[in-house]
Amino acid sequence: MSGQRHEQSVGEQSPGGPAGIDPRPHVVSDGDPGIGSYVEGRRCSECRYPTFHPAIRCAVCGGSMEPDRYGPAGTVFSATVVRIAIPGRVPPYGLAYVDLDDGPRILGHVTESESALQPGDRVQLVGATEAGDPLVRLLGMGAAG
Amino acid sequence: MKVSVYGIGTSSFGKQPGMSAARLVEAAVLEAIDDADVQLDEIDAVYVGTVFGEAGVATRTLQQVGIDRVPIITLENACASGTTAYHEAVWSVETGRFRRVLALGVETMTAHFAGAIHPENVDAEGRQGMALPSVYAMSAARYQSEFGLTDEELALVSVKNHLHGMENPRAQHRRAVTIEEVLESRMVADPLTLLQCCSISDASAAAVIGPARSSVRDVRVRSTVLRSGGLWDHRSDRVWGFDLVAETARLAYEEAGVSAADADVIEVHDAFTIGEIVTTEALGLAPPGEGGKLLLNGHTRIGGAQPVNPSGGLLSRGHPLGATGIAQVAEIVWQLRGDAGGRQVEGARIGLVETMGGGTAGVDGNACVVTLLER
Repeated sequence: MSGQRHEQSVGEQSPGGPAGIDPRPHVVSDGDPGIGSYVEGRRCSECRYPTFHPAIRCAVCGGSMEPDRYGPAGTVFSATVVRIAIPGRVPPYGLAYVDLDDGPRILGHVTESESALQPGDRVQLVGATEAGDPLVRLLGMGAAG
Repeated sequence: MKVSVYGIGTSSFGKQPGMSAARLVEAAVLEAIDDADVQLDEIDAVYVGTVFGEAGVATRTLQQVGIDRVPIITLENACASGTTAYHEAVWSVETGRFRRVLALGVETMTAHFAGAIHPENVDAEGRQGMALPSVYAMSAARYQSEFGLTDEELALVSVKNHLHGMENPRAQHRRAVTIEEVLESRMVADPLTLLQCCSISDASAAAVIGPARSSVRDVRVRSTVLRSGGLWDHRSDRVWGFDLVAETARLAYEEAGVSAADADVIEVHDAFTIGEIVTTEALGLAPPGEGGKLLLNGHTRIGGAQPVNPSGGLLSRGHPLGATGIAQVAEIVWQLRGDAGGRQVEGARIGLVETMGGGTAGVDGNACVVTLLER
């Protein structure tokens, strides 16, 4: 990568992860990691439908897709903390569905894992975890609604 | 429809690592064939639902009970795989493709999982450690925030279904639990505790399906509908799966010419407590946000107006994915015949089964089946 652009570890393959194409949202950061992080995705040139998948046709209207980026801010749709072990993961870890502003809903990991974020909380994408998962942090107290 | 369930059978449910898939299938198929009063060589085709069964599991197991040479068709639709096999079997008879068809579900889960099910690494969420309990935990957290459902109300689903399951000799867990026990059991994914999550299980279930005949024991299929979910994304305000169940149910009621209030006995997909609450609303038993009241006022317990999961549901019976849907159908058949023993719903005439399969990110559900049965 050239210039200021810094690739987080979310890529085609993540270190130590399973082989093959990485299906997770692709997080990139401009400048200092943790300041301006975005999800690189696509948006329909016709109906404006946003997605984090590298799709060439819009899943909603069939229109052609163009590159777009989403974040860093978003609103929590729902969240939980996983407290059981599954292969390759160490509990506990916080998960949240985040509706990125004017963008798609993504699943991300949460910087703090003691308690779950609340629906309506405003969060910011801050990069990726060591394992390559999109990582979000609480911005402030829960927003109304 | 002009189709009936002739007979049903199941193995016992539970962690049975000593039982091969073939022995589980044998128990279910031989009971179903006997119950249907047909001969093995009268079976024209088999539809099989299984998720984690290794390649060839259907043929490998069926040959040991003497079913060979006929078409054997294996289907996968996550947790709704068994009900999908049933649905396809029913339609194959309705359309005249086959005459007598076996719908079979089988799963040997202790061979594949030590704990919670987690989706494939090729899935955008599965790759992030989204275990199935956390899929439903997301729904529970959202629902609680939106409608103010309490942890105690959530726990009541587990209390009711465990109580029902005490009267089901084939269930995995036959033990009553209290609200306190449910809430004090280990946290799995906030707010869902261990006793709010169904168990992995090894089991098989089978149903013989054929054209309506004069036997008084047969149970008529009024309708069966199978749908896959639409996109579930930033435009979706509902919790995951609600819209899919609601739409599938609407079509099933329409096809059968009945409404939600007509269902006398109901089996739904309570893989996790929140699942039953959201599903009963999607089926139209309560308005959105009021599913918890059905538990508080006893509407959905045996003795109430519309008992839900008299078998004990997945929470008590266990959840062998491919076998679950046909086990739900079996429970409704027993109930409509008056053969359900200590968990009998008195006077039940119309029964409903709903199964929901998930685990794929971005859609409202891999598949949902709703079927209405009558005797």
